[in-house]
Amino acid sequence: MPPISFALWLLVLVFDTGGQLAFKAASGVPGEGLGHWRAMAVRPWLWLGIAAFACEFVTWLAFLSVVPLAEGVLLSCLNMTAVMLGGRWLFGERLTARRLLGVALITLGVVLVGIG
Amino acid sequence: MSTRWRFYLVGFLLLMAIDTAAQLCFKLAALHAAPFAIDPGWLLRVLREPWVYGAIAGYLGAFVTYMTLLKHAPVGPAFAASHLQVVSVMAASAWLFGERLAPLQLLGAALIVLGILVLARAEDEVAQAETTHAC
Repeated sequence: MPPISFALWLLVLVFDTGGQLAFKAASGVPGEGLGHWRAMAVRPWLWLGIAAFACEFVTWLAFLSVVPLAEGVLLSCLNMTAVMLGGRWLFGERLTARRLLGVALITLGVVLVGIG
Repeated sequence: MSTRWRFYLVGFLLLMAIDTAAQLCFKLAALHAAPFAIDPGWLLRVLREPWVYGAIAGYLGAFVTYMTLLKHAPVGPAFAASHLQVVSVMAASAWLFGERLAPLQLLGAALIVLGILVLARAEDEVAQAETTHAC
């Protein structure tokens, strides 16, 4: 993979994973209904998530400018692995045997798509 | 087929179709705004591309469809539905853009699809364990 494609792929990965984890952190803020939204608005997580997704949008367009669509979409599946590991690390989410098997298959698949 | 399964199937196919359309819009926007360069000129060309707004509309549509599906369907099938668009995107890219994957990449794609199906089962399992735990 050319260095520019590789760099853009990593950026997409970082923005997507960061955004999803930020939204998860935002949703954990206490409160119900409108109060929940008010509580989220005064903390950084929701805004951080929105900013990350805006950055991902532009980076994704740039990435698809340099790789074929099918390859890009397949390579972006590594986001699932990163989000699952991030969830475990930051929120103590359980990594069950089945989840591990799933992310292992996806990661191996992404490697094959990358080197193929 | 029961009404419930028909609802899942329609929701599943709808979500896949919207996600696929959004990705096709992204690719078309990228193609029309070519050549890519890390400069404001490229960003301005992208923002003038109608396809970009198709992609945004697709994301919003997919979000609403996913949330509706999630309210009624178990989390596993909903997870699978929201990620299995890789299959339809591959088919559409071959058909519309003449993209061809190498044999090793096709094997990789098969492993990814298998991984998504395993994760979908895993999400169902975790959701069930949490429900039992809560009771």
